[in-house]
Order: sequence, then structure tokens, then C-alpha cells
Amino acid sequence: MTIVELITVIFLVVGCFFFLAGTLGVLRFPDLFSRLHALTKADNLGLGFIAAGMALHIASPWAALKILLIWLFTLLASSSTCYLIAHFQKEQDQLKNRKEGE
Amino acid sequence: METYQIYSLTSAVLFVIGIGGVFITRHFIKKIIATMIMGGGVFLSFVSFAERDALTFADPVPHALVITGIVVAVASAAFALALARRIYQQTGDISFSNDK
Amino acid sequence: MSLIIDGLLAILAIYLALQSLLAPRLTQSVFLFFAFGLALALAWIRLAAVDVAITEAAIAAGFLGVLFLDALRDFAPRIPAKNEAVQKQYSKSQTKSLFLPRLTLWAGLGLFLLIALEAVWKIPEGGGLTAAAGTLLPESGVENPVTAVLLNFRAYDTWLEMGVILIGLLAVFAAGGKMAYRKPGVASQDPLLRQVILFFTPVLFLFGAFLLYIGKTGPGGAFQAGVLWGAIGILLHLGGWPFIALMPRWLGQLLLTVGLGFFLVLGFLFMAAGGALFEYPPAYAGILILIIETLAAISIAAALSAIFALLNQIGEEADEIESTT
Repeated sequence: MTIVELITVIFLVVGCFFFLAGTLGVLRFPDLFSRLHALTKADNLGLGFIAAGMALHIASPWAALKILLIWLFTLLASSSTCYLIAHFQKEQDQLKNRKEGE
Repeated sequence: METYQIYSLTSAVLFVIGIGGVFITRHFIKKIIATMIMGGGVFLSFVSFAERDALTFADPVPHALVITGIVVAVASAAFALALARRIYQQTGDISFSNDK
Repeated sequence: MSLIIDGLLAILAIYLALQSLLAPRLTQSVFLFFAFGLALALAWIRLAAVDVAITEAAIAAGFLGVLFLDALRDFAPRIPAKNEAVQKQYSKSQTKSLFLPRLTLWAGLGLFLLIALEAVWKIPEGGGLTAAAGTLLPESGVENPVTAVLLNFRAYDTWLEMGVILIGLLAVFAAGGKMAYRKPGVASQDPLLRQVILFFTPVLFLFGAFLLYIGKTGPGGAFQAGVLWGAIGILLHLGGWPFIALMPRWLGQLLLTVGLGFFLVLGFLFMAAGGALFEYPPAYAGILILIIETLAAISIAAALSAIFALLNQIGEEADEIESTT
């Protein structure tokens, strides 16, 4: 096993660990906001580690660039979706509170 | 046991799950999902036998059939959804009326 | 080791299929169906069918998932009382059903499962058209065998299939009632959503064009590119730019039919020149296939985004009825 393979395996294992943590958070956390937090933060970090591991494994600059782009697009999409869902939920909560206040 | 055998057996199970779902579930959307699962089973069996007949590359004819099949299945599912939503709007039913 | 991965993937697909039918809430079933489509896409990568995997992930999981999510606006009522009444009606009707029909159904399903398992286990070897496709591949003008089958050897099927998409659109149009070509709505108020949509529009266009071009040598092609371009239409519609309504009517009709029409005209031209329908001369086959694929992708994109727009408008009409009553 070369040093590059070892680093690849370490990256993949760390990435899987973060995915596991994120999934556990989705299953265990009580409300929508903390679940969103777990899903977007931990999973994106996990995906980043797995992408880095795969880029090392493929060892071709063009493929590595494509993998980096995939990771960046996923980051952008998931963070903006997270914001939209959280924003919607906040508006719904405010509407509910106002109705209860009346 | 070969790889293609795992997936061809899975395809049979998926088809039966889908056909059972068409009979047992009541809601329109679930019935549509059940037919899509049936379709998934059929496509999986096609592709698994394409992999068995591979020479330097897998058999491309089932692959092409499955690609066209997926698109046609999605188009028909979209039509089914449109019908289901119109029925719900007009009558308020979410399942076929003789189930009541 | 690879058998363990395949086995786990198979179990995952079966579990997700079962759960998406058995889940108590409709939202859960839709999301589990989403996951089922992605699990199937992984299975296709394991079976060396990358073209099919891209199509499955893009159309069957992505596009259909979006349609189901949109349908949830109708079927997952925001007023819980209404939902409970429906649920009660459900449980009442379930207790009324007889024991014997259920037993027959389960026995029949079990028997059918055994027959299906035996049928796929014993399917005869041999046959298959791999060798035939392999020998004709140099004449087809492309290097990816799946693209060669789709657009050269069996071009007739692909042509008919594009007709099916168009008929699907017409059927949705007919079921949707009278509210087609509505006035454009107000653009979305959320600045972030607008910026994200504006950012992703050129990215999706570029990625679709890449898939279209790479279809000549590797996995990719007209359908995958068409779905990505269709996603642009869906995003713009959701962001408040309903371009189907904004665009002149003749332009929409042209975009929808250009793939089908060009394909047909080309086929008849070669027939008039003495060949068979869709028999391209090998020297020009590569460039002809690229043109056909581009036009086909445009038509598919237009049809898919129009289907989404029509279904979305069905929901909007329901919302309006709900808010007025």
C-alpha cells in the first residue's frame, strides 16, 4: 500500500464518518432547524472528504477539477436549499404565532 | 452467484412488490409509485441480462430500450398525475370511488 | 467483496420500494420513492450501464420526483382536520374489507413471486445483439454503442418515443383544463432564490451541452441533455419567470416539434434518395447524429418543462379556489 492509497483511505473513512454523523443528526434532532443544520453542514463536509479521496485515487488533473466542481455545486445547491426551507418554516411559525396571539 | 443474478432476482422481487402495491394501496399517488416500481423491476431485468451478454461492452440494445422506456414511463406517470390531481379537484376523491 | 456491495444495494432497493408503498404519510412515500430511484441508478452503474444510470437519476428520480413534490401541494392538505377525516374514512373502509379476497391476493402474489424468480433464474443464455452491434459500430458514426443503437440502428424507435413524449404533453394539457398560457406571475421576491436560479441557468446549459457532445464517445446523449435543459425551464418557472407563457405561441410550438420534425424530414429525404428510412450514409452519420441529438434535446427540454408548468398550474388553480372559499 503506497502513501497515496493510505491517504485516500483515510479521507474516505473520515468522509463516511461525517455522513454517518449527519444522518444520525437527521434521525435524532428534535426540530427542523437543527436537522437542516446537521444535514447540510456535516454531509457537505463528508462529501468534501470523499471528493478529495476520489480525486487522489483518480490522479488526473482534469478529473480532479471536475470532482472539485461537483463538490462546489453541491455546496451551493444544498446551502441555498437549506436557507429556502428554513426561511419558509420561519414564516410559517411567525404566521402561527400571530394567529395564536390574536 | 454472479452479479447479474443478484440483480435479476431483485428485479423479480421489485416487479411483484409493484404489482402488489397496485392492488393493495388506495391513494392515487401510491398507485402511480407502484406502477413505477413495477417498471423499475422490468428495466432492471433487461439491464442485468445485458450485462450477462457482455463481450467487450455490455449489450447496447437493452440499454437503449431501457432509456426510451424510462422516458415513456415518466411521460405516462405525468399524465396519470395530471388526471389524479384533476379528479381530486373536481370531486375531492383521493382513491377510486368503489373503494369506499 | 463486490458481491456484498451488490447484495446490500439489492436489499436497499427492495426495502425502499416496500417502504415507499407502506409509509403511512404521503410525503414519506414520495421521498422514499426519490431514494428508490437513486438506489436503482447506483444498481445501473454496478451493471455497467452508465447511460441508463444518468437517465434514471435525471428523469425517473429527479424530474418525476419534482412532479410528485408538486402534486403534494394538492394531496397533503395544510388543514389537518381535513386530513384526519380522510384518514378515518380510510381506516373504516379497511376494516370492512373481507378476509377471503385478501388471502387470495396474498397467495396469488406469493405464487407470482415464485414464478417470476424461477423465470429470471432460468432465462436461456445466448442471443443478445452485442456481437452484431459491435461489428456495425464503425459504420454508425459514433463510438458509444448505446448512442449508436438509439440514433442510428434503432432510430425509428427513438423517433416514435419522442412522439410519445409529445403525446404525453398533449394529454397533460388536455387533463389540465383551460388555464394554459396564463399571464406571467410576479417574479420571486426572495433575492437569494433569484440569484441561485440565475447562476444555475448557464451552468445547467453548459453541462447539458457537454453531455450532448460527450454522448458520441461516452455515456451521455440527447435524453440526458434534454432533461438538464428542461431543468432550466423548471427552475425559471419556479423563480417566477414562466417562460412558456412569456414566449410567443409559435415559438413554443416550434421548440416542441423541431426534434420530431427534423428527424422525420431527414428520414424521408434518405428514403427519397433510395435508402431505407433513417439510413444515414456512414460518411456523414456522425455530424447528422449530433444535429439530430441537439434538436431532439431541445424538444425534450421544452416538452418536460411544459409538462411541469402545466401540472404546476393545476396546483395553482386549486390554491386559488381554496383561498377564495
